[in-house]
Amino acid sequence: MAAAMELRCWGGDWGLPSVHTDSLIVLAYATFSGAKLTASPIDWTWKTLTATVPELVCGDSAVTEPSQILNFLRKQRFNADYELTARQGADTMAYIALLEEKLLPALLHTFWVDAENYANLTRPWFASRSPFPLNFLVPSCLAKIALSRILLTKGESPLHRITEVEGKIYSDAKECLNLLSYRLGTENYFFGNSPTSLDAFVFGFVAPLHKASLPSSPLQSHLRQLDNLTCFCDNILAVYFSSSHPCPPPPVQETMDANLQKLTQLVNKESNLIEKMDDNLRSSPQHKPHRPDPKPSLASEKSSTPA
Amino acid sequence: MSLAADAFVSQISAAEPWPENATLYQPLKEDQILLSDCASSLAVQAYLRMCGLPVQVVCRANAEYMSPSGKIPFIHVGNQVVSELGPIVQFTKAKGHSLSDGLDDVQRAEMKAYMELVNNMLLTAELYIQWCDDATATEISRPRYSNPYSWPLSNILAYQKQWEVRRKMNAIGWGGKNLEQVYEDVSQCCQALSQRLGTQPYFFNKQPTELDALVFGHLFTILTTRLTSAELAERIKSNSNLLSFCRRIEQTYFEDKSS
Repeated sequence: MAAAMELRCWGGDWGLPSVHTDSLIVLAYATFSGAKLTASPIDWTWKTLTATVPELVCGDSAVTEPSQILNFLRKQRFNADYELTARQGADTMAYIALLEEKLLPALLHTFWVDAENYANLTRPWFASRSPFPLNFLVPSCLAKIALSRILLTKGESPLHRITEVEGKIYSDAKECLNLLSYRLGTENYFFGNSPTSLDAFVFGFVAPLHKASLPSSPLQSHLRQLDNLTCFCDNILAVYFSSSHPCPPPPVQETMDANLQKLTQLVNKESNLIEKMDDNLRSSPQHKPHRPDPKPSLASEKSSTPA
Repeated sequence: MSLAADAFVSQISAAEPWPENATLYQPLKEDQILLSDCASSLAVQAYLRMCGLPVQVVCRANAEYMSPSGKIPFIHVGNQVVSELGPIVQFTKAKGHSLSDGLDDVQRAEMKAYMELVNNMLLTAELYIQWCDDATATEISRPRYSNPYSWPLSNILAYQKQWEVRRKMNAIGWGGKNLEQVYEDVSQCCQALSQRLGTQPYFFNKQPTELDALVFGHLFTILTTRLTSAELAERIKSNSNLLSFCRRIEQTYFEDKSS
């Protein structure tokens, strides 16, 4: 009846259907509610720069922002929250607010601002998924957006400095993870036996932190101690996103011309090489090294490119 | 490092009892204070009254610049200065006054979640209406905010504040919203609070907690403040249990001394 729904999102890796929190929320909610979404990753296209991610395209209409997309899906009668009471619906709103206020700033910091993680994991990943000249641009743009969001929402004085808020956002985030863990207890899902939109949100926020191999993260090591939250993510991945389940990856290859893809990867490799040389130059004795240790960064860039 | 310092300071302060001359600073009540600051200030006052801690309210034109975090309100207790509700709750807890000790872990999680809902929705909506709605910004917010200062400083400070708030709205994705969508968010938030409250006197039944103080601060201020449009208050008034909740707290904690 309804037109085919297409979701533009960042592609998957690290055992996740998407590495991007907001995309992951929508993908999870769609599978929970049984909506048939075609995920079309924006990787290796110019949309990495131009598109607002995630974006749901259905016929003529396009919806952005996870909460708007979830509302849109509910209107299409894909409702995972159908069985919730009004009180549980209120709780859902409250916990989503908790995630956004307390966990999101620290997550953004972990992936985009923390120098070691950014240089070794986030920048190489997003650079290798963007087409040639954009690979220089996209990661730094995203990092800039993340940093300004943290400063504008959590910065205190008008002359915001990131070091002043770091301690606070991490202690807030750890507290938030603890609260979620208490709330979840020994259950599989937050409300009863089937997953709802709150489960989609928690999964979207926590799963990347659980799965990414971050070189340095106090938040990740804190999460590792909360067994029920990590089990919660693993369980959803196993039940809803395992390979036996009809999953979205195929369109990646279809939409992309294979030769163009190879070329892009080659160019990416080249540009990484240039960056590497640049790093080597910087770390040569004439200049003081900007980054504390450039070597692990190179190793992981190398390993991440031939994906 | 600052966390360690905070912990150290709160350890020291724990030993001292609550002094008689504690003061709470806020901007000038008649001519300067804005809806969002007034709500935050009232929430802290309600919290301290619920704890039974006396505090004297002092209005200063430069309260925003006196505050250690740049946010309203802040309290001056003994030789310490603490701003905003969250840190103030921790501070009183270190002194042995707490409203949420009786809650279990799950209830505490719920309380924190609803507090963030109020901050995320109501506070943001108040800021949006004050600074992003042009009618309100021109008629109320800019003149009031800059009231104590003379031209040209008044204009500079007011526009700087407006620019800052608008940048924040853009960063959190509220920049593209229109007024109607913001009212809709407020409605949803109030419905959620109303559902959670149900027929209980307070959010966690008989005893008030910091959540009750925060909700009261925001709702009561919105209900009693005149804006360019009464729409915001109307959205709250459709939930009758929230209205009686506000009245109950007002009568219990703010009227007993005069009667």
